[in-house]
Amino acid sequence: MGLFESKNKKGANYISAKESRRISKENRRITAEIEKKRNRKNIPREEYITKMKDPKNVVEFDNVHTYFFTDIGTVKAVDGVSFEVPEGKTVGIVGESGCGKSVTSLSMMQLVQRPTGQTVEGEIRFNTGTEVYNVVNTPAAEMQKLRGNQMAMIFQEPMTSLNPVFRIGAQVDEVISLHNSHMTKEEVKARTIEMLELVGIANSEGVYSMYPHELSGGMRQRIMIAMGLACNPKLIVADEPTTALDVTIQAQILDLLRELKDKINSSIMLITHDLGVIAEMADYVVVMYAGRVVEKGTAQEIFKDPRHPYTIGLMNSKPVVGKKVDKLYSIPGKVPNPIDMPNYCYFKDRCEMCVEGCNGSYPEELKISDTHYVSCYRHVNDAVKEEN
Amino acid sequence: MSEEKNLNTKTGGASTSLDDEQRVKVLSPGMMVAKRFFRNRLAMVGLVIIVCMFLFSFVGGMIAPYGEKQVFRTTETAIKDYAGVAENKDWQYSVADGKEFPAAAQAQMILAVNNGETSFTAKDVSYGLLKKNDDLYYIVQGEQIATVTNVRGNANYKEVVAGALTDSVKAAYEAAVAANQSEFDADGVHYSITQQGRITSINIAENIAIASKYVFSGATKEVEVSFDFKCAALDAMEAEASSMEADGVTYTIEENEEGALFYKDGEEYALVSTYNISAINDGVFLTLEFRNAALKAIDEGAETFTFTDESGEETEYVLKRKNEQYTVRSYVETQVNDTYAKPSKAHLLGTDGHGMDMLTRLMFGGRISLLVGFVTVIIEVLIGIIMGGIAGYFGGWVDTLIMRIVDIFYCIPAMPLYIILGAIMDFWKIDPQFRIFVLCAMLGLLGWASVARMVRGQILSLREQEFMTAAEALGISTHRRIFIHLIPNVIPQLIVIATMGLGDTILTEATLSYLGLGVKFPYASWGNIINAVNDSYVMTNFWFVWIPAGLLILLTVLGFNFIGDGLRDAFDPKMKR
Amino acid sequence: MSKETEKIQEPLIHKDENILEVSHLKKYFPIKNALGSAKGYVKAVDDVSFNIKRGTTMGLVGESGCGKSTTGRTILRLIEKTGGQVLFNGKDVNKVSKKEMRDLRTKMQIIFQDPYSSLSPRLPIGEIIGEAVKEHNLVPKNEYDAYITRIMNSCGLQEYHKDRYPHEFSGGQRQRICIARAIALNPEFIVCDEPVSALDVSIQAQVINLLKDLQKEYNLTYLFISHDLSVVEHISDTVGVMYLGGLVETGATEDIFQNPLHPYTKALFSAIPIPDPDVKLKRIILEGSIPSPANPPSGCKFHTRCSECMEICKKQAPQSKDMGNGHVVRCHLYD
Repeated sequence: MGLFESKNKKGANYISAKESRRISKENRRITAEIEKKRNRKNIPREEYITKMKDPKNVVEFDNVHTYFFTDIGTVKAVDGVSFEVPEGKTVGIVGESGCGKSVTSLSMMQLVQRPTGQTVEGEIRFNTGTEVYNVVNTPAAEMQKLRGNQMAMIFQEPMTSLNPVFRIGAQVDEVISLHNSHMTKEEVKARTIEMLELVGIANSEGVYSMYPHELSGGMRQRIMIAMGLACNPKLIVADEPTTALDVTIQAQILDLLRELKDKINSSIMLITHDLGVIAEMADYVVVMYAGRVVEKGTAQEIFKDPRHPYTIGLMNSKPVVGKKVDKLYSIPGKVPNPIDMPNYCYFKDRCEMCVEGCNGSYPEELKISDTHYVSCYRHVNDAVKEEN
Repeated sequence: MSEEKNLNTKTGGASTSLDDEQRVKVLSPGMMVAKRFFRNRLAMVGLVIIVCMFLFSFVGGMIAPYGEKQVFRTTETAIKDYAGVAENKDWQYSVADGKEFPAAAQAQMILAVNNGETSFTAKDVSYGLLKKNDDLYYIVQGEQIATVTNVRGNANYKEVVAGALTDSVKAAYEAAVAANQSEFDADGVHYSITQQGRITSINIAENIAIASKYVFSGATKEVEVSFDFKCAALDAMEAEASSMEADGVTYTIEENEEGALFYKDGEEYALVSTYNISAINDGVFLTLEFRNAALKAIDEGAETFTFTDESGEETEYVLKRKNEQYTVRSYVETQVNDTYAKPSKAHLLGTDGHGMDMLTRLMFGGRISLLVGFVTVIIEVLIGIIMGGIAGYFGGWVDTLIMRIVDIFYCIPAMPLYIILGAIMDFWKIDPQFRIFVLCAMLGLLGWASVARMVRGQILSLREQEFMTAAEALGISTHRRIFIHLIPNVIPQLIVIATMGLGDTILTEATLSYLGLGVKFPYASWGNIINAVNDSYVMTNFWFVWIPAGLLILLTVLGFNFIGDGLRDAFDPKMKR
Repeated sequence: MSKETEKIQEPLIHKDENILEVSHLKKYFPIKNALGSAKGYVKAVDDVSFNIKRGTTMGLVGESGCGKSTTGRTILRLIEKTGGQVLFNGKDVNKVSKKEMRDLRTKMQIIFQDPYSSLSPRLPIGEIIGEAVKEHNLVPKNEYDAYITRIMNSCGLQEYHKDRYPHEFSGGQRQRICIARAIALNPEFIVCDEPVSALDVSIQAQVINLLKDLQKEYNLTYLFISHDLSVVEHISDTVGVMYLGGLVETGATEDIFQNPLHPYTKALFSAIPIPDPDVKLKRIILEGSIPSPANPPSGCKFHTRCSECMEICKKQAPQSKDMGNGHVVRCHLYD
């Protein structure tokens, strides 16, 4: 104990051993309770089959809270996020690291690292076309059927997402046959070749029998996409699919994704920090900051008429080719760690456009137009009053 | 913390701004490692085991009531045949000095006694037999001086030796015949009368032997009971006299049922008894008191009796009857090493084959085992860091050279080498205490290769990290780059490998000691304690000799491995998932 | 191999306005077979020449694996070159003595991409920044503390950070520490090896602004290596575009961005996503990916992906051609 105290005096900001024990104990209590509920046998279907608010949507996030019960406290990585993914559209989720965009996508897939991470509140409604699942409550076995079949995920790291000891063909075959048990071997292979051609691999027969290390990053990402699309999913969750790739390859992949979306008529949830990619790909944009949605709207609205100071700052701080500025705008400070957040606008401390109301509690979501919503006190007067 | 608040007020905000890293308290890296470690159940089990081992070995050894090399002795009471007692039914012959009474004559005598004859002949020698009572006969050998033929009541004397038959002899003879006696005395000479058919001979009789059923035994070893004494004693007993004289000494007699006790000047001199008491072991002299006591016990029909000898030691004897024979058995207590004693209150885990307290041995053995483990690992780590550090940092031919040396050390078949070195140490008769340190050095020198390899690998990967490139770009000296930037980053892995190595080393030490090549008696180590099991009898009968030591080794190695695993996971959480 | 290259290379003539002159720089990494002898070479940097004027920033762009980082490190002699020449202030970096090199180190610094691995995890910040200052005795002992504090302040760090350890800082702040560490030696030239690639957008802008401010304050020269063209455009005065170990185009930033000549440069620029949903560029999509530098294509290295490939491109490597105003391009289209 003495050791930690003396460190504290030096100015380092460490949790005391006692405090840490208390947090751990509390975390165990909470997670054990949730896990117990989750691990029940024979969860009745009523608990996870619901109805969509708008049947045209593929996914509806409704006040989702995903928390991580860590040693330094509860990290509210996703804290009351609501948005929709309409059918056949691309929704871009943009934000900086730590804003909760990846956790949002993982919550969608129910891939949050348990038991530390738990979706504690809210509904994620997923429309398979025949039934509507509330992903939050869906048991793991059911989820297994949804993942891959109805929703696919494309990860950031194409280098590590493929198993290095199996041939490409075998890995794609596996996905296809797993979800299409009626198919014969030849049918599966034919489908795999078809998928490889779909994602723009010219030498599909050759690639079928290659190992991942023989392929470049761009090719691997194509393979990942082929695997994701193999079962015609309703939803593709693409978590920074091009961040690890070079610009020329990124252009190829983005082109491909756009093309494919139209071909197979699925929705894309695109997660990225690159506004350029969003602008190019997305129909709708969700801007997240510190676990919350600060602004959402169509791409046009967000890029042409950004309302939230964070969205504006984000756009200004990225240099744009062809637009010469002497000094880049930069948002002061950094993204806060979402632990023990106070009840006021999380962006207030970094905001250079504060108004009187900003000292109040966290701003409500204000409706600017039918599709455009913003959480900022500056726009209280512009907001379309909703009639109840 | 107050400093922080000042800073915040300076920058304008009354409260901490959200993006201030001071707002959220974090875990210090040490705490993080500690937390991960303590959360690992296995690691905690390991830690508890090892702490217990240390307490057991070091504190336990200190408070243990016994010493490491203290040998316990025990008195073992074995019941042994001590003496035999038999009621004498046979004739006991005492032969006068210078005379012979051969075995053939003894047989003839018995025939004569049974037939009621007064003379017998054996091997052409004729003997006279004088009956004193049923149990006492005098064997006489005489010279015929005259024969007497009784014709109608008149005795016809015929001299054989001229002039020997005096009137007084005649008168005495007649008196004796009248009294129906077979002997008589005349003029101080003893005569015997023997009957052969109608002729009666008068002989000058000479006592050559006594046949009686009494057994004489002297009171002390020095006492040689003489023939004269025996004669006198038996006569006296016949006469039921209270004293007698023999060889010019006066003895007092105390008669009892089986015989009599003779005192010479008030001291016990000899015992005469119908019982024959003899010691089983040669060289053991049975005192009169003991004989008395034994006889008394037999009389009383007791099964045991206690007897206090001259030195005042009280011994219990057991009488065992077998037909007419009694065996006196005694409890003999001998001091022996208390080997393989069963667990008891005094020795909670019993004793080993040397009579040393097992628990204490285990404690001291633990000290040595742990000490050997630590010293060896320290040696290993030191050499390993230096060699691995040099190889990893400098690379090139230095790396190649050192790594080939490491390969060579990997190729050395360690066990045969240990065995050879152990044998050499045996040959040189190296002092056991010094030998422990030689053992550490030996294990350390042969075991550094894996540490060096690990350190090299770590340093190779650290060297590629950008902070090392940065240090080079900054022009930081090589020495500082190695010792300030590189080595501290290897320490977590070193701790892990050292912890794991501890278990291995303890096992190797145990193996060597088990083979008798490591720590030597009288020093204890867990290995050489188990060494006792190379005797299958010990293994099957005395579990407490080897099972506890085996368990301790098992637990300790397990403990160190658990801790090692726990530390590895704690330092590098990525390894776990 | 190296002898050959020395022969064909003309000696560099140092101009005073240039702080750095690189000529025909080559770095080949041997591919070793099982026995340890080289069976081939990865030509990471193959015949690169450029100059940087004092107080300016040169941007070096290219895709991953094109040899930008190796170029930066070879210039600083963190990697030994295979051939060519690097003159720093007229001094051949590869020919100076060990002692001179140590002094030279303080004049040329580097900032890395990954702010997490570029700080020694077990040293406090004050020590990390001041270590080299002490090592080279740059400031008197009594001024040392004040000097470090001043450097830290100029990089946006507070004095109380001195006793903290790197793990307590976020990526942006770590990058500031890296910058402070480089600045503390009072260098003239800094290689910025993708300094903002690992940072968030809002932090990126802060770091870029910081680098620009420091350049003005200390009259620094930067070699700014990045794959992010928009950042390079913003910060650089001149730009070099690299492809597979060689420079395909160099020139002033305006010239390159407004009038890209090399087909690769054109393709690269058209690939940049523009954060404006209305702008739909006619994109030049490059086919395939970068060939392996261990086995580069013959002739023009870009010909395998080039949309305007001609017969000659497959056979003969193009020579550099000055298109005026220092705009140099290596392409047969402009022969």
